[in-house]
Amino acid sequence: MISLILLALSLQYAPTRDIGPQLDAEREARVMVLGKQLRCAVCQGVAISDSPASMAQAQLAKVRELVAEDKTDAEILAYFVQRYGEWVLLEPTKTGLNVVLWAGPLALLGIGLVVILMQRKKPDAPSAKPPAPTEDPLLAQVRADLEK
Amino acid sequence: MKRVAAVVAALAVAGLVVYVMAKGFGTDPHEVPFLMAGQKAPEFSITRLDTNETVTLSQFKGKPVVLNFWATWCGPCAMEHPNLEWAARTYADKVVFLGIVFEDTEANTRRFLAEKGWTFTQLFDPKSTIAVDYAVSGVPETYFINREGVIVGKYAAPISRDILAQRIGEIL
Amino acid sequence: MPVNATLGYGLILFGLACAAFAAVVGLVTGYQRRESALPWVQRAIYGFSGSMLLANLVMVKSLLEHDFSVKYVAQVGSRATPTIYTIVSLWSALEGSILFWGAIMGAYLFAFTFIYRREHGRYMQFSLGVMALVATFFAFLIAAPAQPWFTPGYFFSSPPQIPLDGPGPNALLQNHVLMIIHPPMLYLGYVGMTVPFGIAAGALLRGELGDAWLVPLRKWTLVPWLFLTIGIILGSWWAYAVLGWGGYWAWDPVENASFMPWLIATAFMHSTMVLERKKSLKLWTIALALGSFVLTIVGTFMTRSGVFNSVHSFTQSDIGPTFLKFIAALLLFCVVLLTVRGHLLVAETPLESVVSREGSILVNNLVFVALTFTVLLGTLFPLVTEALQNKKISVGEPYFNAMALPLAMVMVFLMGVGPMLPWGKADPKVLQQQFLIPSAVGLVTALVCFALGYRGFLPLTTFGLCAFVTVVTLRELLLPARQRMTETKEGFGTAFFISASRARRRFGGYVVHLGIVAIVVAVAASSSYKQHTSATLKQGEVLAVGDWKIRYDGATSGKLPHKEYVSANVTLISPTGEELVRHNLDAPRMNYYEMSNDPIGSPSVHEMVFKDVYVSLLHVDSKLGTASFNAWVFPLVGWIWYAIPFFVIGSLIALWPQRKAKVLTVPAPAAVVQS
Repeated sequence: MISLILLALSLQYAPTRDIGPQLDAEREARVMVLGKQLRCAVCQGVAISDSPASMAQAQLAKVRELVAEDKTDAEILAYFVQRYGEWVLLEPTKTGLNVVLWAGPLALLGIGLVVILMQRKKPDAPSAKPPAPTEDPLLAQVRADLEK
Repeated sequence: MKRVAAVVAALAVAGLVVYVMAKGFGTDPHEVPFLMAGQKAPEFSITRLDTNETVTLSQFKGKPVVLNFWATWCGPCAMEHPNLEWAARTYADKVVFLGIVFEDTEANTRRFLAEKGWTFTQLFDPKSTIAVDYAVSGVPETYFINREGVIVGKYAAPISRDILAQRIGEIL
Repeated sequence: MPVNATLGYGLILFGLACAAFAAVVGLVTGYQRRESALPWVQRAIYGFSGSMLLANLVMVKSLLEHDFSVKYVAQVGSRATPTIYTIVSLWSALEGSILFWGAIMGAYLFAFTFIYRREHGRYMQFSLGVMALVATFFAFLIAAPAQPWFTPGYFFSSPPQIPLDGPGPNALLQNHVLMIIHPPMLYLGYVGMTVPFGIAAGALLRGELGDAWLVPLRKWTLVPWLFLTIGIILGSWWAYAVLGWGGYWAWDPVENASFMPWLIATAFMHSTMVLERKKSLKLWTIALALGSFVLTIVGTFMTRSGVFNSVHSFTQSDIGPTFLKFIAALLLFCVVLLTVRGHLLVAETPLESVVSREGSILVNNLVFVALTFTVLLGTLFPLVTEALQNKKISVGEPYFNAMALPLAMVMVFLMGVGPMLPWGKADPKVLQQQFLIPSAVGLVTALVCFALGYRGFLPLTTFGLCAFVTVVTLRELLLPARQRMTETKEGFGTAFFISASRARRRFGGYVVHLGIVAIVVAVAASSSYKQHTSATLKQGEVLAVGDWKIRYDGATSGKLPHKEYVSANVTLISPTGEELVRHNLDAPRMNYYEMSNDPIGSPSVHEMVFKDVYVSLLHVDSKLGTASFNAWVFPLVGWIWYAIPFFVIGSLIALWPQRKAKVLTVPAPAAVVQS
């Protein structure tokens, strides 16, 4: 009965895939780290390690194969870039126009900090008087309430 | 002065955001770029399901090759098959036609081939390794490889006779 | 003539007319300062609200009746769909969700107009006018480009064949109960930002912002903020429980779209504190209020335009260009308004010291804005390179994590430091004294975690910071109570209650901070110390993940009215040997929906207080009798969603109306007795 339904289903749907043999824990961890950085070719902006799609699993198997061949991370990423271009890298490179992407937020932070520091009172301006003893306004309020 | 600069900056940023999003309308966010045009076609070696003989790409060296990736469960693939059959007959002595079934099970493929009996060679890629090597990003996809074994381009949709004739013209 | 479609469309046209009327009358008479026109604006808004709510009821009725002559019902309805999902399909595709959007807009505008119906017309006409303008845009969307009632060309050709059945709503949306509450929460958050936008724009148009108008601005930002928070958290819970990849947040464009307005609204709620106390940052605060709304519209565009590639864009259509024109107009409106009217509000007082409460809030605002900018830049950047360089690139999780993590750490740090700093200028000695205990507790926490065998600079620093923040927050929560206790000999409960009710917003804020701490700890722990195994098992075989074991008991299949499924039955074995059977609908499984091409996996999640065991199915091989699984153990991950009550309780405390100061009032006449 089960096999009948599975058979019927397999006519309509892309079949899922066996994950195949795994490497030792250390190299498998490397596979997953690399898999997180590569964009699945048939999914919607998902990393190959995060997609159950059969094609993503096939791409992950390729990463596993290259890791088993002791290729470096750069070589493994290059294999995919050669095929799909920079599109495949979920972490964009830090070259060319992409510098804007990486440095833009830092620049904003820098400018913002300068603006905040500029808001400070000029140090040479004579300060009216030493700051009043600062007390938490809430505690002050509590005290005031109690004195009523 | 400072205010003018701030306004100009705000308008520039707003304008850029709107411009970039407007440009986005013309493009398909699901399109996957393909950089293998002009590269050497990756070698493969598969055992045929029907005759058990081994097929490699290099054995066709010196002849243009049309490589069609498809799957039995894929509706559009069934639609384009008559066109490929037609092209395989028309260019029988000039071009090699190969079909590669991927993302599929061996049982499905055997049954399908037994029922339909394609005239050109059909291969089965059990773990989609060849598809990964060729950067396939959907089904069906048709690759055009010239005499030197270089990928001239691919067509990533169900293919028509006109387009087949035109693209084959580029590798003849 | 189809009854439902005609009725629904008629209601929408009436709503559109009401909204346009309210917008024109509100803005024109606001400009003329003719306050006598206010009742007309209010009536028109009631008309808009009523017709939007009724139109939605008509749509729900059509869905339940399977009236396939209605275009939207033919698109998403199906006789096989269970009733609850039939109702939910109101927001499962574009036209319906925009219609639903209209209903929420109607509800918000009604509530705001009704609550402030006796308010003086000073800002009110402008504010209602601006809100009605936004409502006009949405009513127009429902009336024309995203019209859900009639198939295109209905009136010009012979009536089309009415289908007997439909495809049913998107399969992913039928897969989990969370889909019933998550989208409405998110919409309540998005749409609600219209109200603070109207309030802020009204103040700018009027050219003044008094303290009286600041209160509704703050409260009406907090309401959508709370819904947005719940919506975002439930969305991540849904992704975790349904999508089966073991994650909850992927920096997907649609997730980013909901995160950006949340960040800016959060920044707004902090900067209003400076505005209230120091009467500075007025323009900035107003700009943040406008910004949260603009970002909700940008976010909606991201979800609906089809320009962005996303797992979540279930609903795409050709309303993109209309939306983009609206965004352009909105941006122009905001910039011009801030430029032309902004100087009327500015009354900046210089900062005495950065090391002060207001200094910390300024830095907080900077970090929130920088994070928003990062998210916006990262989401848009693929479009930028494509437009300018004709090059496709991807900006994914690794980028966002790398940029957001340091900023988030600074935020957590500020969350501890800010509350300790006094307004004005800090006395270094007092400061040192205050810092001592929280810093010590933070350090000890990090060391204890290290001694327990947890490694990694980032998670340990995060735990330390979170302990630091928790101590500061609890101290701020309890100190006033202790003072009351020592001075009046009140019991703890009374003292705590009284001190809390004297400063509701402050207490509410700290409760929310505790919720944030819970989320930060959960995110850090679950991402740093998760354990993962994937394996292919034969029946009876076991895989180990962390200190748990998972045994495969074989596959079964089943059929529900709207789907078939194949379950890979498993038994989870706890470290103590306890066996938890997860079979059939509780097992990790593949779901096959009618009229959908891809099987959709559902994971099986065993939720515990301190960790989750998460098993998802990759493949079932009926011939070999094997199944492939991905299994994870995630420590503390559930605390992301268990933190929701902190946000709800905190926000409710802050929203609770402060009792008016006792003034001599004449008691209401006897009419009260009747009620």
